[in-house]
Amino acid sequence: MKEILKLDHIQKYYGNGGNVTKAIQDISFSVQEGEFVGIMGASGSGKTTLLNCISTIDTVSAGHIYLDGIDVTEINEKQIARFRRENLGFVFQDFNLLDTLTISENIALALTINKVPAGEIDGRVREMAGKLNITDILDKYPYQVSGGQKQRCACARAIINQPKLILADEPTGALDSHSSQMLLSTIQSINEDLGATILMVTHDAFSASYANRILFLRDGTIFTEIRKGGDSRRTFFEKILDVLTMMGGGMNDVR
Amino acid sequence: MMYAKLALRNVRRSLRDYIIYFVTLTLTAALMYSFLALGFSSDVLAMAENMSMLTTGILLMSALVAFMSSFVIGYAIRFMLGRRKKEFATYELIGMEAKIVRNLFLAENSIIGIGAFLLGSLVGTGLSGLLNQVVKNIFEVPHTYQVSFSLRAWAVTFLFFALMYGFGTLRAAKIIRHQKVIDLLYDNRKNEEYRFKSFRHSLLVVLLSIAAMVAGVILLGRMLQTQTNEAFLYLGGACLLILAGVYELHRQIPLLLHRFAKQNLRHKYKEENLFFLGQIGRRIHSAGRTMAVVAILLTVSLATMFVGLTMGAGYKANMKAYYPYDAGVAIDAPLEKSSMDSIVSFTEDHCGVEDSVSYYLYAVPEKPIEALSLSDYNHLREILGLSPVVMGNNEFLVHCDTWNYMDGIRQGLEQQPEITLNGRTLTVAETPILTEPMEQYQMAGTKGYVLVLPDEAASQLVGEKSRLAMKLEDGGYPELKSDLKQFLNSGKWQPELQSSQQLPEKVTMGVTVKAWGVANSLTGFTAISFCGLYLSIIFIILSCSVLAFEQLSAIDKNQKNYAVIDRLGVPGHRQASLIRRELSTVFLIPLLFPLLLTVLLIAGAQFFFGEAILQQGLVPLYGLVTILLFCAIYLTYFGATMFLFKRVILRPEMR
Repeated sequence: MKEILKLDHIQKYYGNGGNVTKAIQDISFSVQEGEFVGIMGASGSGKTTLLNCISTIDTVSAGHIYLDGIDVTEINEKQIARFRRENLGFVFQDFNLLDTLTISENIALALTINKVPAGEIDGRVREMAGKLNITDILDKYPYQVSGGQKQRCACARAIINQPKLILADEPTGALDSHSSQMLLSTIQSINEDLGATILMVTHDAFSASYANRILFLRDGTIFTEIRKGGDSRRTFFEKILDVLTMMGGGMNDVR
Repeated sequence: MMYAKLALRNVRRSLRDYIIYFVTLTLTAALMYSFLALGFSSDVLAMAENMSMLTTGILLMSALVAFMSSFVIGYAIRFMLGRRKKEFATYELIGMEAKIVRNLFLAENSIIGIGAFLLGSLVGTGLSGLLNQVVKNIFEVPHTYQVSFSLRAWAVTFLFFALMYGFGTLRAAKIIRHQKVIDLLYDNRKNEEYRFKSFRHSLLVVLLSIAAMVAGVILLGRMLQTQTNEAFLYLGGACLLILAGVYELHRQIPLLLHRFAKQNLRHKYKEENLFFLGQIGRRIHSAGRTMAVVAILLTVSLATMFVGLTMGAGYKANMKAYYPYDAGVAIDAPLEKSSMDSIVSFTEDHCGVEDSVSYYLYAVPEKPIEALSLSDYNHLREILGLSPVVMGNNEFLVHCDTWNYMDGIRQGLEQQPEITLNGRTLTVAETPILTEPMEQYQMAGTKGYVLVLPDEAASQLVGEKSRLAMKLEDGGYPELKSDLKQFLNSGKWQPELQSSQQLPEKVTMGVTVKAWGVANSLTGFTAISFCGLYLSIIFIILSCSVLAFEQLSAIDKNQKNYAVIDRLGVPGHRQASLIRRELSTVFLIPLLFPLLLTVLLIAGAQFFFGEAILQQGLVPLYGLVTILLFCAIYLTYFGATMFLFKRVILRPEMR
C-alpha cells in the first residue's frame, strides 16, 4: 500500500514572547492509502489543531506534512484552494451544509467548484446519493431533513470528488446515538467499499472503534497508537477504553 | 458610572456595525437642518412676497422625513440588536437586569444619536450656505458663500430628530425587555426556512400585477377627463393599483428570474454559479418584501428628484425667455409710436425708466411671419445687454429663440436664401439665425420667430402690431403689472391709429412685468423643486441604508457559507468576486424597476414637454443629473456595505 499522508515532526505554537501555548509539541506519523485512522484525545490535546494543519486551514510552526508526496506546508496561498479542491474532503460536526441549496445542490457544489462538466453532475450526484441512501431527500433543503441525513449529505459532498484524504472532525458530535451508528457505518463503507482514506478526529470511543487504527494524543504529542488488526469492533472498543483509562480520560468520554 | 463607561466602550467596539447607521443619521440631520435653515432664512424669505410657501413646504417635508426616518431607525436598531443578542444574553446571564441591559443599549444609542445630530448640524450649517446660494442664483440675486447659524432651524431639527430617534429607540427597547435569554442566545442558530410558491402562482401574480397597473393607468386617464370630485376617487384608485402592481411585480420577477436561472443546468453548474444562485435565492426570499418596498421608495425618490430639478430648471429657462424685459406692453393694433409715450411717462411716475423702445411688428405680405426693423431690433438687444447686429441694406436674418423651430428655419433658408418684398430682393445675412432669448410669442414676434429687415425695407411694410419694451430702475416692482393694466383700461390713455390704417375687429392687449413673473411663479416652482430635492435625497439615503442593513444582518450566515466554499477549495479572489456579485445583484434588484421607470419618465417628459421648455436638451440633462446624483449616493452605500462585508467574511489576505 502506498503512503498517502506523512507528518514529519510537526509543531504548532500560538502566541509570542513569554506567552506561548504549545498546541502540538512534536508529532510524526503516516497514513497508508485506504486506511481509516481515528485521532482521539481529551479537550486541548491538540487533535483539532492537528486536523487544521493537515487540512491547510492552519499553518505549522515547524515540521512538514506530505500528502501524496506534496509538502502542504510549502504550498503558497494561491495554490492552497486548488490543493484542497483536488485532494481533500471535509466532514464537520455541524454539517456545514448551505441552507440556501437543496441536498442535491449541496453535493453538486463540490463538483461545480471542481469544474466538472454540467452534463455529468446530476448523474454523479444521484449515484453518490444512492450509495449513501439519501436519494429520497435530494430535492429537500437541509432544514427539512434529520441530522443524520444532513451528515450523510456532508459525507457525499466530501467524497464525490474522490479526494485523496477525507478529514472528519467529530462527525457524530451533533447526532443522536442511532444516527451516529448509521453515519459511522456509512463512513466505514466509504472506506471499505470505495477505498477512501479517512482521518477522523473524535473524543468518542464508540465512534473511534469504527477506525482501523487510533492515535491517542495528549498534550500535543502522540501518547500511543493501537490497531484493530483482526479484532472485532467490540474488542477494539474495549481496547480503546483501556487506553483512555490509562490516559486518565475516564469514562466521561465513553458513550 | 460603570454602565456609562461600558456604553461608551461598546460604541467604540461596535463602530464597524454602527458606521452606516451613524452616517445615515448624520446625513439626515444635516439635510434636515440645511433645508430648514433655508426655509427660515430671512434673506431668502425677503426675495419674494410668497416665499413663505418654501418654509411651509420644507416644514411639511421635514415632518414626513422624520416619520419615515423613525421606521428606518427602528429597523437599523433591530439590526444592531440582532448582531449583539449574545452579548446581551451574557449580561443577563451574569445577573444584569433586563431593564439595565435595555438602558445600556439606549445609552449607547443616545451617544450615537447625539453625536450624529451634532455632526449633522455642523455639516448642515455648511450645506445651508450652499443651498442659500443656489436659491439666490435662481432668483438672480448677487450672492457669496456665507455660513450662518439659524437657531430656529436648529431647534426644529432637534425636535424632529428627537421625535424620530425616540420613536425608533423606544420600539427597540421594548423588544429587548420582552425577549427571553434563550431567544437572545440561540436565535442565530435557527434554520432559515423558505416558503416556495409554485411557478404558476408567481406567473399568475405577475399577470395580475400587470393588469392592476394597466387598470391604474386607465383610471388615471378617466381622472383627467372627469371634472367632478369623482376625479379624486379615480386618482386614489389608480395610485393604489399602480403601487400594488409595482410592489408585486418587483416581488415576483426576481423569483421567476431566479427560478429560470436555476433551471438552466449549464449555467447553474458553471463554476461557483450554484453557490451564487443559492445566496441570491436566500436574499430574494428573506428580503424580497423589503427590496420591493425599497424599489417603490426609490421610484418615488427618482421621480420626485427628476420632476423637482427639471421643473425648477425648466421654469427658470422659460422665465428668461418669457420675461426678458423689465416691462413690456403689446397691443395688436397699428398705432402711432407716439401712443406709447404716455405709457412710458406713467411708468416713470411709478419707477424710473432707464431706457425704452416703441416699435412695430410688421406684417410680411403672403408670409406667415412678422418682421422687425434692424434699428428696433438692435435697440431691443441693447435693452437686453446684447451687442448690436450689423447687416447690409440688402440682407435679412431670422431671430428665433425657440430651439425646436431651428431645424425648419435652417432648412427653409437653405432652400430659399432670398426673399422679395415690394419688389426688393434681400439675401440672407452672413449669420442667418440669432437665438438669444427675446420673448417671441408676444414681444419680439408672436410665432416663436421673427424676420429682421433693414430699416428701409421694413418701413415699406405695415406695422400692424405695436409694442413697447422698457428697462426699469432696479427691475421695477411686481404690482406694476396691475398698475399698467389699470392705466391702459382707465381711459386716460388715448392711443392714435396710424394714418390710413384701421383698427382690427378684436384688439389683443398684453402687459408683461418681470418682477411680477418672478414673484408669482418662480417662488412656487422653487418651493416645489427644493422640497422635491429634499424629500428625494432623504428617501434615497433611507432606502440605501435599509438595503445596507438588510445585507449586513445576514453577514454571520454569509460568513459561515463562505467558510464552507473556502474549505471546498474556492480561491480567495473568486470569493471576493462572489461577494461583489452577490452584493451588486442585491443592490441592483430594487433598482431595475425605478431606473426603468425613471428613464421612461425622462423620455415621456422630453416627448410631451421638451418643446415647451425653451432650453434645448434641458430634460435629458436634468434626467442625467438625477441619475448621477442618485448613483453617487447609491454607490457610496454600496461601497460601504461591500467594505464591511469583505472585512467580516474574507480572511485578511483575501481582501
